[in-house]
Amino acid sequence: MFKKKSLSELIQQLKANENIINWHEIDPQDAKTKPIPESVDARIKSALHKRGITELYTHQFSAYETLQKGENIVAVTPTASGKTLCYNLPVLQAIAADDSCRALYLFPTKALAQDQKSELNEIINEMGIDIKSFTYDGDTSPAIRQVVRKAGHIVITNPDMLHSAILPHHTKWVSLFGNLKYIVIDELHTYRGVFGSHVANVIRRLKRICKFYGSNPIFICTSATIANPRELAEQLTGNPMRLIDDNGAPRGRKHFVFYNPPIVNKPLNIRKSATVEVNNLAMEFLKNKIQTIVFARSRVRVEIILSHLQELVKKEIGSNSIRGYRGGYLPKQRREIEKGLRDGEIIGVVSTNALELGVDIGQLQVCVMTGYPGSVASTWQQAGRAGRRHGEALVLMVASSTPIDQYIVQNPEYFFDRSPESARINPENLLILVDHLRCAAYEIPFQKDEEFGPLDVTDIMEYLVEEKILHQHENTFYWANQSFPASNISLRSASQENVVIVDQSDVANVKIIGEMDRFSAMTLLHDEAIYLHEGVQFQVEKLDWEHKKAYVRQVDVEYYTDANLAVQLKVMVIDKTISRRTTAVNYGDVAVNMLPTIFKKIKLTTFENVGYGPISLPEEELHTSATWIELKEVDSEIGTKTLEQLLLGIANVLKHIVPIHVMCDRNDIHVVSQIRAAHTQLPTIFMYDHYPGGIGLAEDVFKRFDEVIAAAKKLIRKCPCEDGCPSCIGTEIEGINAKIKSIQLLEDL
Amino acid sequence: MSGLRDRMNRLRGESREKDKQSEVSLAEGANEDESLAEALTSIEEESNDEADPEWISPVWDTFGVKLHKNDVGSFLLRKIVYPSDFRHGHHAIEELHAAAPGLSSFHPLQSSAAEKVLFLDLETTGLGVGTGNIPFMVGIGYMSNHQFVIEQTLIRHPAEERAMLAYLAEKLQNYTYLATYNGKTFDWPLVINRFIMNGLVRNLWEPKHLDFLHPARSIWRNTLVSCKLSHVEEERLGIHREDDVPGSLAPQLYFQYLANGDPAPLEGVFRHNETDMLSLACLAIRFGHLLNENIRDYIPLPDEPEEMVRTGLWLERMGKTGLSQLLFDMAINAKEVKPSTLIMLAAHDKKAGNWMRAVLLWQKAIIQSSSNFGAAAHEASVELAMYYEHKLKDFDAALGHASTAFEHALNHSMLQRRDAKMRAELDSLRNRIARLKRKSMKQIQ
Repeated sequence: MFKKKSLSELIQQLKANENIINWHEIDPQDAKTKPIPESVDARIKSALHKRGITELYTHQFSAYETLQKGENIVAVTPTASGKTLCYNLPVLQAIAADDSCRALYLFPTKALAQDQKSELNEIINEMGIDIKSFTYDGDTSPAIRQVVRKAGHIVITNPDMLHSAILPHHTKWVSLFGNLKYIVIDELHTYRGVFGSHVANVIRRLKRICKFYGSNPIFICTSATIANPRELAEQLTGNPMRLIDDNGAPRGRKHFVFYNPPIVNKPLNIRKSATVEVNNLAMEFLKNKIQTIVFARSRVRVEIILSHLQELVKKEIGSNSIRGYRGGYLPKQRREIEKGLRDGEIIGVVSTNALELGVDIGQLQVCVMTGYPGSVASTWQQAGRAGRRHGEALVLMVASSTPIDQYIVQNPEYFFDRSPESARINPENLLILVDHLRCAAYEIPFQKDEEFGPLDVTDIMEYLVEEKILHQHENTFYWANQSFPASNISLRSASQENVVIVDQSDVANVKIIGEMDRFSAMTLLHDEAIYLHEGVQFQVEKLDWEHKKAYVRQVDVEYYTDANLAVQLKVMVIDKTISRRTTAVNYGDVAVNMLPTIFKKIKLTTFENVGYGPISLPEEELHTSATWIELKEVDSEIGTKTLEQLLLGIANVLKHIVPIHVMCDRNDIHVVSQIRAAHTQLPTIFMYDHYPGGIGLAEDVFKRFDEVIAAAKKLIRKCPCEDGCPSCIGTEIEGINAKIKSIQLLEDL
Repeated sequence: MSGLRDRMNRLRGESREKDKQSEVSLAEGANEDESLAEALTSIEEESNDEADPEWISPVWDTFGVKLHKNDVGSFLLRKIVYPSDFRHGHHAIEELHAAAPGLSSFHPLQSSAAEKVLFLDLETTGLGVGTGNIPFMVGIGYMSNHQFVIEQTLIRHPAEERAMLAYLAEKLQNYTYLATYNGKTFDWPLVINRFIMNGLVRNLWEPKHLDFLHPARSIWRNTLVSCKLSHVEEERLGIHREDDVPGSLAPQLYFQYLANGDPAPLEGVFRHNETDMLSLACLAIRFGHLLNENIRDYIPLPDEPEEMVRTGLWLERMGKTGLSQLLFDMAINAKEVKPSTLIMLAAHDKKAGNWMRAVLLWQKAIIQSSSNFGAAAHEASVELAMYYEHKLKDFDAALGHASTAFEHALNHSMLQRRDAKMRAELDSLRNRIARLKRKSMKQIQ
């Protein structure tokens, strides 16, 4: 008869597993609490009592007290530490005290906004005060919209809706903007990169409108653990912030374990598949009815793992106790899964990072990650899903064979000692700034001496007058154009002119399945390219470059395509330089000229080259910021040919390392090596932001340069391959001792 | 400045080709600039002796535009007075007096007189009711001492808006009704927007809306190609515009004026707005007569059955049942009635409990569809099946109609892809037929 094992028994058993390469324990912590402040309304207190809350955790208390002083706050709160009370308590208190008060909640997604509304309405009902909270998004019916605008105390929405529907129609929201006391920005850490840079400008517009109606709202931000929550909050809101990080929530003991699948092919450094290992590991827990969450990096991966697990344990617990969770599921289905997890009816869930955000699923016992989630912050968030306030929890990260994964698991101190990544935004990116200045002028005429962020924008206003978009009369700039500017600006897309991907597999039902920035499209959506969308293969039938449309059709082929891009870099401006003995590190503006040349068809299983074709697209130019390393002197024994190969190898390593250190996607920052850079004729490696005008990534690399180089050296040194593999410096080049020489080169930087 | 433009172009990746094109157009523009410069100097010369803000170009006067000043500032105003016997198309403006009482049906318990109606039509810089859409021209119209007065304001630059709105606010208070074409969702919310944007009281007037777009759509949805005012007036009010500047061009002409200060092209916009105001008054007359149920004293009743039925249905909704009965009778007896018109009226009769006529109309609809069994005949068959099943308990007759509907639906669905709606319809017919067969069997036993 099968006897169920407890989590502690399984943990003991796991400790003997030879594939575990690091075992880290996090000690338990007791709750730190303070009494609910006197000033809190009696009705709110009794509603909290009904939910079993008789005291506040220290961070909730400090949040409340700091806000009473009129300061803006950013609260850093791990998963399940009672984050929502940090904002709900002060907001409800303010409305209970003065019925005319209004609050605006911003969540990055619609789903989170819906969750929040349900939770908020529960507590409001228990309070017995007539406080109206509504979500306002694309799904809100026209009938109810008017009620929300006029009578909603708390309006819950997302930045996109604020940008395109609320702000340009602010006259319909007089009662909200005239009485706005608090603006809540939840999941602050998600506002980074291009999206964050847009949102910072949306908030500038929001503040302008508040000022017009005479309100001066206080900001309440909450964030997962990142390195720079206060800096990000201040950049995003333009207001000084008080950091609240005295987390008082209790937690039990947590085991954080790195698992590296065994090597199955030594020379090529190929390891056993992470997915297979995850299936076997997760199965053990599920069989023993231990609530487990499995994270996978793509939607397809989720479905694959899910079906395996359901099959493996159907005898023990029934396949319905294990569910999938990802974007694309219907909201109703998601709510049902969330509830099942909270109630304990669902034992296992396989999810994409959709469950990384603050959706309430209660606390599980085990978290298994299929591969490194891509950033330290994400990893901690996923890990936070396991861990009860009392009792043990286990987090298991199963490494894939990608260089990033291998670097992380082989350098546990990098992960545990290092503070998480910084979230970078650049609201002053000229394209983004100009877009939002148009919207701002549409919303309220712009005064000549008016501020919009730290830069003087008069030049831009005058430019817009020349473009016949604004009309200047004396010291005021008025909107004078027939268009509606917000409709052409998407907060989430990378560049202005995106290529739209049109699926014409079904002639009767042609649909748009996605979009891509034009620079990436050159190499990923050229004619005949194989484009992967949610795990499905599509072939590009025609790329209409002029109209920025790619027509694709679903296919099932055994190869993928890889395009060659001829890149030329011109240095325009050098802003900063650090000179060393034989090298120099620079930061500045560059022009990148890109010309795709040919593409190769590469067989999926063997990586053989099975064909190629030409790409005929015009050259594109990208102006952006970059950090570059120049080698002023090189050991003369290294020949030009060898040096070129070494630079290529180091660039390959940096491609993997840089995104980990500056918290971005691999596609956001590009690394290019040149044996003879155009402006100096010196061997150079460039790292540039893959977005016109730059979004602050290259600048961050410049600041953390030594850290990045040290990490690169370590990756090469620790890689178990002989003398180069795709996980480090790329394919092996015989007889040049590439690994040692690369490390030597890096030593000199 | 050119530095910023260059940077923008570079970041946007505007190709060299485009630069060249813009150079060419710049070169062309240069010529224009010259002529523009000449024009400007001539304007400057004329205005040489003035630092006087009250000076306006004499061109304005050629189409009756004057400077108007109030406590808040100044703007331009054009006022046209029409004598009461002025005819615009089929109607004379003085008919408004007779018609006005009928308009009170829009707002029961209110009485209405021609003097209490304000007509409003805006010319704006863009579409939609966003805060950046500015009404550069406000046209209002009203009856005063048996004359019809149209006033049109124009702002020479956005800063004059406040003075113009103050003038409008003062006028509004004298009226109860606001007559517009789509003004309930467009013109009036936009005026409110502007009041708020200019810091004026926004609740100063709560109009009773007479938005004629709604009845126009109810009545002419299927008979006219479009329910745009310019189309409705031509087809139904006997108005023919000559050399009209289309409303869609107005923003462009205004921006041009903002850029070069030349008033001349705006004359067309004034004239266009003026005609709109007159047509609006004629629509008020038209709907007023209908609601008074004495329209035949002025113009003939509609001659298309579809329009007769729709007019009748609208009148009934507005609480007028006399004329509507006449219109329905006319429609039924008309020579060529479309099956769709018949079933529209049948649905009305069914709701009102007038089964006799409803059944007659459904049968007629099917007979008229003999050569082409369409959606209307389908609906009529289903309705008859229901009627025979539930009202008369004549299951065999019901079965006959249900089977006809099913056969046709099936044939029809062979020709195209079955969507969810069509499948549901077929399923429900299948169920109905099965049930009727059961009931019929039972009856026999």
